[in-house]
Amino acid sequence: MRQLFANRTSSILLQEKCDEADEKSVSKQKPGDESGNTVVVAPPEFRFMYPEFLPDPAMERRNRLKEKLERIDMLQRRSVVEIPEFYTGSVMAVTVADANSPNKFARFVGICIQRGGSGLRAWFILRNVVDKQGVEILYEMYCPLIQKIEVLRLERRLDESLLYLRDALPEYSTFPLDMEPERRLNNSVVPINPLKVKLRPRPWLERWERQNLQGVEDLNLPQRFYDKAEKVAKPWEKYDLMLQYRKTIPAEEQEKIFSDVHSQLQQQEFKRKMRRRRGTDNEQ
Amino acid sequence: MNQADLSKLVSALRIAVKPKPRRFSCPEGPAGRLEKLRATVTALVKYERIELNHPRAEEAQGYAERLISDAIRNGDCHKHTMEMADYWLNEKQLVHKLFKVLVPRYQNYNSSFTRLVLGPKTYPGYYVGTAILELKGNPFPALQPETHNYHYWLHNVLLEEAKKEFRSARQDRNAGTTESVTAES
Repeated sequence: MRQLFANRTSSILLQEKCDEADEKSVSKQKPGDESGNTVVVAPPEFRFMYPEFLPDPAMERRNRLKEKLERIDMLQRRSVVEIPEFYTGSVMAVTVADANSPNKFARFVGICIQRGGSGLRAWFILRNVVDKQGVEILYEMYCPLIQKIEVLRLERRLDESLLYLRDALPEYSTFPLDMEPERRLNNSVVPINPLKVKLRPRPWLERWERQNLQGVEDLNLPQRFYDKAEKVAKPWEKYDLMLQYRKTIPAEEQEKIFSDVHSQLQQQEFKRKMRRRRGTDNEQ
Repeated sequence: MNQADLSKLVSALRIAVKPKPRRFSCPEGPAGRLEKLRATVTALVKYERIELNHPRAEEAQGYAERLISDAIRNGDCHKHTMEMADYWLNEKQLVHKLFKVLVPRYQNYNSSFTRLVLGPKTYPGYYVGTAILELKGNPFPALQPETHNYHYWLHNVLLEEAKKEFRSARQDRNAGTTESVTAES
């Protein structure tokens, strides 16, 4: 196969060398290599750890200056309050300043069922069942009222959005309000919890059979539901390359954003580690 | 929601991408839109220069660029890229052409891989007009003449200087006549 193509394309290659010489560049050089300085590039996991640093992909709402200023403000806020790495499915505790509560602080523990927003508007929803009542609170990560965000259990689930917990049995959303932070066995990898949740009998808030959920046990619905789901499904969207492009930020831009930001984030993490170590030393 | 989708890494496209996609009228509806664009992208990869209507050409340009940029970024051993190539190229020998011919051709390009040239608008007919969509580096003669910068060629430099001299001489003459008029009054 390869030899055949070599014969066919040789004439084409000769011609293109003359025509496209100006279009081809010298082999890609990383910026800064010419001067001999090393270029610092953020590790690829940064886009999962800090997804709110990436702007809203909608083209009508892009504004480079606004995004740059927002990133400066986000780093400033992160230097004051520690906003730890978390994912949908992690159990977290958030302490908020509340003028009306007796302690002036309100603490809530819950599982993160969804996160979204970009920039300073980044938010996440914590869910818990308190006194047999399901409670969900949406916290904006960079709100100045937030005093402390702790991750009690850092793990991921099989889905990016756990909204089906609203229709699941209450035991899957119940977490003790005085839960202690759990120690991670392996610091480098975030474990994926392969739990399959059992849902209550219908009616449900959403048509879960149409959403291709991985983290839910077999729904056991009559066949007509699945037939209607197939009828209504849009299988071509999986192949729609431009739809995917409009929903995301290109890799070159992501690298640029995180290379700006990651050195400061690493410095903040380092300072916090030193503070923690000094704190334990003082206790000892 | 409002957060960038992180499941796939895509390369930046070097064409102007409009914020909203165009809808095309087809009996099958939105599914048919992708079928039509599939045919266009297959023809583009096969013939390397096609003439078609402008709206379809613009949409197909985006999909072709995405396909080629994914092939360059991920190579042919990447499962998702191969699935996309298999879907978008109806003739399977063109999948080979994509990975063995087009990827090496465009490996070091800093510009877009396709070129869209507006074609004639024949009246009466389709108002938006035709367009010619081609892959760069194709073996055919160029559609548009090469643009040279003629500004610094000798005869143009001399003509520019002559024009400047003529204009300044005319200004002096006009200034002289107005002065004489004011002096008289």
